[in-house]
Amino acid sequence: MRTLTAFRMVVHDRSSTAGALLGVVAIVFLVGQQLSLLFGLLNYMSVLVDHSNADVWVMSGNIRNADAGNLISGRYIDRIVGLPEVKWAEPVLIGSGLFRTADGSYESVRVIGTRRPRLSLGPWQFFKADERALLDLESVTVDKLDLAKLGNPVLNQVTEIGHRRVRVRAITEGARGFQGTIVFASIDKVKEIARTPPGRYSAILVRLNRAPDSRIMARLRAALPKCSVYTTKELSYLTKKYYIANTGIGSSFGFSTVIAVLIGVVIISLTMYTSVLGRARDFAVMRAIGGRRRDIAVVVACEALIIAGVGVFVGFLMLVTLLNFTRGSAIPSFLPLFVSPALAIGAILVSFIGSSIALRVALKADPASVFH
Amino acid sequence: MRGPKMTTLRLEGIAKDFSDGAQMRRVLFPVTTEFEPGELTVLAGPSGSGKTTLLSIIGLVLRPSEGRMFFGDKEITSLSENEAARMRLQRYGFVFQQPMLIEGLSVLENTLLAFAVQGRRPPKGARQKAVKILNRLGLGESLHMQPRLLSGGMKQRASIARALIKDPAILLCDEPTSALDAESGQTVMRLLKRIAIEEGRVVVVVSHDARVFPYADRLVKIENGQIVSDTREQTQTEEVSQS
Repeated sequence: MRTLTAFRMVVHDRSSTAGALLGVVAIVFLVGQQLSLLFGLLNYMSVLVDHSNADVWVMSGNIRNADAGNLISGRYIDRIVGLPEVKWAEPVLIGSGLFRTADGSYESVRVIGTRRPRLSLGPWQFFKADERALLDLESVTVDKLDLAKLGNPVLNQVTEIGHRRVRVRAITEGARGFQGTIVFASIDKVKEIARTPPGRYSAILVRLNRAPDSRIMARLRAALPKCSVYTTKELSYLTKKYYIANTGIGSSFGFSTVIAVLIGVVIISLTMYTSVLGRARDFAVMRAIGGRRRDIAVVVACEALIIAGVGVFVGFLMLVTLLNFTRGSAIPSFLPLFVSPALAIGAILVSFIGSSIALRVALKADPASVFH
Repeated sequence: MRGPKMTTLRLEGIAKDFSDGAQMRRVLFPVTTEFEPGELTVLAGPSGSGKTTLLSIIGLVLRPSEGRMFFGDKEITSLSENEAARMRLQRYGFVFQQPMLIEGLSVLENTLLAFAVQGRRPPKGARQKAVKILNRLGLGESLHMQPRLLSGGMKQRASIARALIKDPAILLCDEPTSALDAESGQTVMRLLKRIAIEEGRVVVVVSHDARVFPYADRLVKIENGQIVSDTREQTQTEEVSQS
């Protein structure tokens, strides 16, 4: 009956309920949107590492993220493949150059060079054509999202990157990096574009016979004392951590999230406070006819829970609509599975916090006041 | 469904002081009296005389500053807050000056709330009983209506139904007719009288409305916090039994 009473109060006090609902929806939608943007950017930060299909990355010593390493010698490959735990090791070369668009203008691109035939660190999802396109020396891929920026190149179109002739042979999907447009090419083409010294590479990707453990990693590090040796997971984390800490993204997103939560809490607090003030007489009546403080608390908590439940539902509905709308667009948005329940629980907790002032007012309802 | 026990409410030297910040002020001087079942007692007096304070103390929503109070043989003066709430839930019915029905709940739900305000399910047959009482009070057509759609008299009758649903041994009414027109007021008083006599409850009505006095079995007049007269009245019993 206390739950029914709470439900009836919520339905009856429409304006207060709408206000409190707005607060919960604001929290779920704004925080969810911020988080989806943050996780989308986090994905961009480590996109190459996460899609490398390797167990271990070997890069130059003392790196702080996957994008800022010096070139390393290709002779390390022999040392690496000499270890019995290693299945294969492949060099990759990452350079940058200017992509010549159809109208003669230039766009800066990162060119990822991958060695045939394994094409490790090659593109992972195609919109048009497939990885066989990269077996040709002058082939490059461009991403679907960058087509407009690159002057809408079509398949087999010949152009230049870094004044070197390239031919667009495939269009990828989702290959978007934190540092800009990504183009895949053969390792030899990248050597030409980036004019790197022979036998030197950006990284060596290693595949092990089994999952990497501390013993294998120790052996690899011992064999390559001047290199940074990280598991893919470690390097991904290191890269994300670097960008979050050094670009202000973390504090910026944290700040906007806190503001969104605060706005929600204030809206919920004010509307529930007003609602409970308007119901003070009802709570006094309930106390007079035998209700305890605990029973009043249950009614107010049920009200908060009902509003939070509906608000979370509406908020997620709006968030899902937005995420679907922005899917495939240039806006980075990604909401990992664990975020949704965490956000829902967080929103419900915040609703309870918001209703705590209202609860204090409700608990002060004096049963003796009904006789005045 | 059990009926009310025939239990007397006894007050021994009950007094109440209020503090106005600087000093204590006595608003109710020691009262020693008994309220008998089957009797409608009217506490009368001008505004500020202390009658509502006395009613609040009897109703266990206000603690006396001194004195003792007994429900039958059980002392109920110093019950804890939760014990007092349980006592009010199980033994008391209240009719307030304003009907104070909870908006959002229907008339039937308001009536049942008296049973379930502590979260327990209403006992088996409670709903039927509520319907029966509401029918008896002429609200059979309004069971599912919202309180705001009822007239003042109907609301007050609904609040009486809320008070009666638990078969309370004690029914406390604070100015139950003040917000009603003359005809509705008479209907309510006849009803309270019948409840006291036929159902053997302690019924205490606070009022300064002289139109209520003819219904009293006992008229207690309070002035300046003291009982100045306590008389048994010749009441309209015959009229009530016929109604």
